[in-house]
This record gives sequence, C-alpha cells and structure tokens, in this order.
Amino acid sequence: MKMQRVQALAWKEWREIVRDRLFFALAFVVPALLMVLFGYGLSFDVENVPFALIDHDRTAQSRDYGYRFIGSRYFDFKGYAANEADAYDLIAGGEVRAVLVIPPGFGRDLAQGRPAQVQTLIDGTFPNRALTIRGYVGAINAERSLDSAANYLAARSGLPYADVRARLQPVTLEVRYLFNEAVLSIWSLAPKLIMLILMISPPFLTALGVVREKENGSIFNIYASDISRGEFLLGKLAPYVAISCVNSLLLWLMAVGLYRVPFKGDFAFFALASVVYVACTTGVGLVVSVLVRTQIAAMIVTMVITLIPAVLYSGLIIPVTSLSDAASFVAHAMPAMYYADIVVGCFLKGAGVAELWRPLLVLALYACALFAAGYALFSKRPAS
Amino acid sequence: MDALVIRADGFGKRYGKRQAVSDVSLAVRKGELFGLIGPDGAGKSSLMKAVAGVLRYDSGTLEVFGTDMARDAAAESVKARIGLMPQGLGQNLYGDLSVEENVDFFAKLRLVPDAQARARKEKLLGVTRLADFRARPMKQLSGGMKQKLGLVCTLIHAPELIVLDEPTTGVDPVSRRDFWQILAELVAEQGLSALVSTAYMDEASRFARMALMHEGRVLAQGQPHEILALRAGSVVSCVPQEQVRARAALAANYAQVEALGPCLRVFVPGLAREAAESAVARLVDAAGSATAYDSGEAELEDVFVALLAGSLAPTDAGEAAAVPAAPGKASPAIEAISLARRFGDFVAVSDVSFTVREGEIFGLLGANGAGKTTAIKMLTGILPPSSGGGRIAGVDIARVKSRIGYMSQAFSLYLDLTVSENIRLYAGLYGLSRAERAARLDWVLEMAGLQTLADTLAAELPMGQRQRLALGCALVHRPRVLFLDEPTSGVDPVGRRAFWDVLFKLSRVDGVALLVTTHYMSEAEHCDHLALMFAGRIVADATPQAMKVALEHDLGALYEISGEKALAFAPVLAAAGLGGVSVHGRSLHVLCRDGARLAALASEHGGVRVRARVLTMEDVFVERVRALEKEAGR
Repeated sequence: MKMQRVQALAWKEWREIVRDRLFFALAFVVPALLMVLFGYGLSFDVENVPFALIDHDRTAQSRDYGYRFIGSRYFDFKGYAANEADAYDLIAGGEVRAVLVIPPGFGRDLAQGRPAQVQTLIDGTFPNRALTIRGYVGAINAERSLDSAANYLAARSGLPYADVRARLQPVTLEVRYLFNEAVLSIWSLAPKLIMLILMISPPFLTALGVVREKENGSIFNIYASDISRGEFLLGKLAPYVAISCVNSLLLWLMAVGLYRVPFKGDFAFFALASVVYVACTTGVGLVVSVLVRTQIAAMIVTMVITLIPAVLYSGLIIPVTSLSDAASFVAHAMPAMYYADIVVGCFLKGAGVAELWRPLLVLALYACALFAAGYALFSKRPAS
Repeated sequence: MDALVIRADGFGKRYGKRQAVSDVSLAVRKGELFGLIGPDGAGKSSLMKAVAGVLRYDSGTLEVFGTDMARDAAAESVKARIGLMPQGLGQNLYGDLSVEENVDFFAKLRLVPDAQARARKEKLLGVTRLADFRARPMKQLSGGMKQKLGLVCTLIHAPELIVLDEPTTGVDPVSRRDFWQILAELVAEQGLSALVSTAYMDEASRFARMALMHEGRVLAQGQPHEILALRAGSVVSCVPQEQVRARAALAANYAQVEALGPCLRVFVPGLAREAAESAVARLVDAAGSATAYDSGEAELEDVFVALLAGSLAPTDAGEAAAVPAAPGKASPAIEAISLARRFGDFVAVSDVSFTVREGEIFGLLGANGAGKTTAIKMLTGILPPSSGGGRIAGVDIARVKSRIGYMSQAFSLYLDLTVSENIRLYAGLYGLSRAERAARLDWVLEMAGLQTLADTLAAELPMGQRQRLALGCALVHRPRVLFLDEPTSGVDPVGRRAFWDVLFKLSRVDGVALLVTTHYMSEAEHCDHLALMFAGRIVADATPQAMKVALEHDLGALYEISGEKALAFAPVLAAAGLGGVSVHGRSLHVLCRDGARLAALASEHGGVRVRARVLTMEDVFVERVRALEKEAGR
C-alpha cells in the first residue's frame, strides 16, 4: 500500500468535488436541506385541528358542550356552520377537518335524563389523522358526559360534587411519557432523519463519483496504472466518508440546535457509531457503482435500495415491532434500522455502548461485508 | 530483427453475442510507431484496451513485453511500463483540475519521484506548448490542447509503450498535424514504442507500420508501401465534359470511380500510370471528351477499398431520378447575404456571403468554433440572424423550412424503429399525402439500397447504411436544397464512397443544391466549391483546385522526402531555411518554392529521394489557418 498514491487520489477527488458546483451542493447543501424540509414537513403531530360546529339546539347545554371543544388546545374553532350541507363543503374544501353536529332537543334530552346523540363528521382521507381526531373527540365527549352525570347525581344525592365526580371515575389514568416527555414527534423524527439522510447521501455521492469516472473514461487512468485495487478504493472513498462524517456532525447540530431535541447520551459513542454507519452506507454506494455503468442507472438503483428501505423498514414511520414478519425480516436485513436504534437511543434514552453495542457491531460487520464485496467485484480488467 | 513489444496471435474478443475482434495476429517492434486504421466498430479499441491490460479477452494469445496477458496478475505486472490514452476528447482528464494539477496527479498516481516529475513536466509542457496554460482548468482547453495534455499525462511516467486510442478524432486539421508532429518527435527522441489508432485514412502516412482493420479483422498489415503493393495500380483523374455519362462508362469497368468537383478520379488496378491513363481515356472519349488528365500512384484508401471489395461490394445507389431535374442549372439555390450573428459581445458569424447554385456541391470548412454551425442554423431558419439575410430557392430564410432537407451529424434517426417506420415518420412529419408517402418510401429504399432491409431496426444497421437512411429521411419531401452537417463521421471508406455517389447523383441528375460541412479534408475534395471560415468570417471562397493553385503560388509545391536517411535530413532543411517540415512515418513532407535547390540539397546529403506530391485540401486548410492564426496574433 503506497500512501502517496492514496493521497494523490483523495486530493484529486476532493478538489473535483469542491470545484464542481453541482457536486459540491450535493455533498454539503442537500443533506442540510433535506433535514430542514423533512423536519418541518413530516410532522405526525395532530394539533389545532380546524373544526366547525352546527348547533341546531342553541341552548345553554349545547353551547357548553361546544365550548369544551373550542377551548381545547387540540382544536381550532373556525366558526358555526348553518347546516350539514355547508359542513360537507367545508370538509371537502379542506377548511375544517371535523364538524360537530348538535341535534335539536340536545339540552332538553340531557335535562330529562335521556341519552343525547352528537354527530361528528371527520375528514377520513388520512386514516391516521382521522383516528387521532376521533380519539380527541371521544375523550372530550367522555369528560363532558362524566361531568354531566356527576352534576345530576350530586343534585339528587346531596353529596358534594367533587365526591360524586371522584366516585364516577374511581380509577384515573396518570400518563407519564418516558424519553419524549412532551410526545413531540420532532424529538423522535429528527434523530431518525439523521439516519435517513446518511442513508441516502453517502451512497449517492459515492456511486455518482465512481460511475462518473466510468462514464467519461477517466477510470481507464486507474485501470491502466499499477495502482492496486485497495489503494484506489481507499483514496477514492476517503473523501466521501470524510464529507459524510462532517455531514453527520452538521445534522446532529441541526437536530439539537434547530429542532431543540435533547441529546442525553454519550456523544463519543454517537460519533463512533456515525462513522461506522457512514462507512457502511458509502459501501452501499461502492457496490452499486461497480455494478452499473451510467450515472442515471447509479441514481435509480441507489434510490431504490436506500430510500425505500430507509423510509419504510427502519422504524422511521412505523415501528419495526409493528411490521409484518416479512417486513420485519427486511428491516433486520438493512443497516438503517440498527442505526435508527442507535440514534434514538443516544438522543432520547441516554443510552451508550452498554446498551447499543449490538447494533453497532452489526453495522461494522455490514460495512466490512460491503467493502469486501466492492473490492471483489471491482476489476481493473473488466470483461467489457 | 528488433525485439517485439506486442505480439498478438489469433486474438479474439466478444461482447455477449457480438464478436468484436476475431483472429487478429500482429506484431509491434520496439521503437516503432504502429498504426491501427479502420472505421468505427472495426475492433481497434478492444485490441488496444487488451494490450494496455484493461480489458479481458476471449481467445488467442497476447504478449506485451513478452508477458502473456491472459491473467490479471500478469497484466498488472507490465502496467508500469505502459501508458494508455483512451478514446474521447480529453474525457479521461479531470475537467475541474488545472493543466498542471492534471499532470501532477498522473505523476503521483505513477509514483514518479518529485524531482523527476517536475523536470519531465516542464519538458513535456514545453514541447506541447501548454506551459503558458498551466493554471487553466482542463475543461476550458480547446480540443487540440486537450489531446496534447492527454499525451503529456500519458508520458509523465516515461512508459516504454504508449497506447493512444484515436487521439486525433474530433480535432481540427491544424491541431491534428501539430499532434502528429509532437508525437513523432517524442517517439523518436525517447525510443518509445507506440500503438496508435485512427479512423482517418489520410493519417496512415504517419505510421512506420500499420494494420488496416475492418469489422474485427485485420485486412492487411505492414509498411505503407507493402500494403500499397497488395493492390498495385494507378489513379487517373480528368475533367470530362459530360461528367455523368463519363462516370457511368468508367463505373461499368472499374469498381472505384469518384467524382471530385468537376473531376473524375478512377483507381485502375494492375496498370502503371501511362497505361492506366490511356485505358481511362479510351472509355471517357467514348462518352464525350475530357481534359486535364493526371495520374499518380494509388493511395492507401484506394487499396483499403479494393481489399474490402471482395467481401463488400460497393453498393450502387441506383439512379436518383425521382426528384424532377432542375430546368436551369445556373439559378442560385442558396444565397447568404451579409449574414451576421452575435451572442452578447461574441461575434459568432460576421458578414458571411456566398451563393450555392442548383446542382452544386458546396463545402463549408473551418475549425471548431469558426462559425459553420451558426451559419447553417441561420440559413435553415433555426436561428434568426442579427443582421443580413438570405434566400433559399428564392424564398427568404425566415420561411424556408418546408423547402430544405437537413441531415445532422447524429443522423437523427429513431434507432428503435425499423427502416420503413423511420421513413414513414419523416414523411408524416413533413405532411406528405398517403399516396405520396408510399411513393417516397419506395424511392428512399431504392436510393439508399435498403430494399431488403425495410423491416430491420435502424439500430442494427451498420453506420454506412444508417447514414444513407438518414439521407433518405432528409430527402423524403423532395427538397430542392439539402444541408449536411458533418455527414460522414464514423463511416468506413466504402460506405463513405457510396454516400458520395448518392450525393453526386442528387446534384448532377436531380439538380439539388447541397451545402456540406465536414472535417474530413479528403471529403472537401468532392465539393465543386469551397468556403473556408475562420473566426466567423469567410476567408477564402473558390474551387478546391483554385485554392491549391493559390497555395502553391504562395508557399510552393509539396515534396516528399523518403529513403533511409530521410529523418536525418530535417535539420539540414531547417538550416537551409526551408521550414514547415512535417514527419510522416519514415519520410518528410516539405513545402518548397525552389524545387531545384531542394534536389541539390538532397543529392548533397545523400540517401534520400525527393518526389513531388499533389497538394491536398488538408495542406491548403492547415497552411491557410496557420497563417491566419499568426496574423490574428494568437
């Protein structure tokens, strides 16, 4: 191994990346941009749901019922609608996502102890969001029902209201969320975005960087010289690994600084794991690059084998434990899931090497396997 | 016998089902400039890559420096002694790095010690006159400079063998000559062996020995005179009064008849010059008379075509009679009147005027960036001129599209469609009626000699046939004017000749006006009239013959100096103040006004023969452009 050659190659590569504006942007601007776009765009929080009310009753009871929703932080009151036809238009036009319809006689029925019915219209186009809204409506409604029952019983029994209320709900649920106390989705999302972006960017850069040489013929300079395969791969890939390491630091800073995600774990461990992960994903790019001939093919193949697994089979959107057996198998076969465990552990759970050495080991083995495959497949004397 | 650097025996290479090279045997000796000559797809690149150890092969043996290249490890062991410059204009260099950074990278890649690398770099940059551009990014160099930089990078580790794959393709004639000159000097000075390929037949004289390749096989190899001896014969040219009839009479007897402007050029195999001349005269006189008889020895391209003729009969394109013949030949078909085009501050074309008459083949020559393409774009109505104007068949150029045919360099065919589908598509695009479409389909198939291939995919046609199909598509709407932009790139000599036969008939029989741009200077000879463009202006506008006469008047006649001491004669010439010497293989070419003095010098020196040579259009082009460049202070 002649370090002079490795150095010359790495230096040449570095200068090309820095001077090619498109490549420079791809290397340093795109990852940060993705972090911003995904971070602000991909929120799973359902808050301030715009909603409207149709109050056919117009009694003190119905107004009180309505105010339960108007006052909630989960709902954003947009006004009263006149009838169901208007309500339908409002939902269809996207101005509100839910409409509560209080029927005539609502106040009277409640006063007479008869069950009253309230209709809720919810925009079902996004099932997850619809179910969440349904949950909010149900919880507020249950609260209101209990209060109402407590009022009645207190009046009838002469017991103090608070006692009756407590007896009606003998067990109250006290929830404390661990690791993400405010259950802010960005806290969980931002660390996983680091995983996603470092899954996409390094293979793209690497595959394009190597295939570009194949496409324009400068790879023949390598083929025709007496540089060894190891020297070539080391010199060619080192700049890409280095760039991606810088990017992982940048993304960490964005998660902590921009999205205010607490970092509770061991930074040294996180850094080490990130280097291993980046080496691993660079290896993915290397394997792609030895198998394809054109930059277009490199982009499509990289896209398919990195983006899709990293989004669907890594726990980014759906927890891996909730996946079907087949999907779970795919998830375990991909490096993304292991790094997702590491980042979430490091950021939110304060975990370190003691808890996370296993996924790190898997990533390291993965990286070794990819580089070995790249080394074996790369030929300085191809058959065509 | 000299030591062998490369020895191939029964070498073969296939890509999937396609046999790219088969049964090639050749030997390259130490210190020799060996040429591989052949059109695209002849198998040159595959052979060269295998020699450089960057491509596996399938059959036969290949030894480089006596090492069998069959195994990867063996190939690896000789790479330090080889330099490879792959095909493509500067493609293997790094566009974002400067000239100097490119050279430095190659030096480090090859582990050249710093001091040596520095000395070699300075010397090579000096020889190639790139030293002043060392800080310029490679992508901003001209084509010729890129190729010279490629050569510097290939030589920086002082290899014993260099493999250069089509180093002059796409480079203008002036830069091409420059490149050959530098290469010849370096090869001689450093005792290099070189394997160099080219698609230009007229570059064959640059090689000491060569192999002619076609479709994966070697047709002939040896020294130029050995190859010429394979099909001995003479070339006769004359200017007949009735060119079409005379051509038909000659073509009935000889396989190789070419129309060059008003002349006919015939290759007469097996006869010496005088006998050939009288044989031709007998045939021509029977079809009207002729003047200006001239004869000479056959050239390599004649022999190449003759060698191919056995396997590949030259396609007779048939009489192109479907386009109605022009009534009056003298009326102008294309007129450019003070055409000018500016892009911002840059003047691409300025004050260009010329006239092309019906039935005339007009050639527009010029280096890359001289303004040829911009001029054509304005004349075809694609690009509005900044000032000036023009007429095509009497109609202003702003409204001409339906009257012209245009055939681009890339042939603009749909490769996934069949031959007849391509023709129908173009007929549809030009809005031909159903009946007319069927008639034109038949006409194009016949004209292009593709009747039996109507249902073949365009992608499966060889380049020559593909090119005639593209021509047919450009002619499907019976245009009176046809523009051809570098129409014969990458086509083999046989295909190229067949193509020019078709063009000849189009112009002479059907009266179509043709405007051709080409960078093959040998093709400029086919034109009736030439305009030479330089820096956006037309600097010469005359017949090829007149241009040659003018050059001879200004700079003298062309002489070839051969013999075993020919190369040692160059310094003698320089001392005598006879500059402009160029090295061609083992002989020299020199332009000289005083033939007697040259002969005296030669007999004084001894061991050399002096022979007058016919000036080529390339000589004219190169000398004129060099003078203009000097004048422009570049």
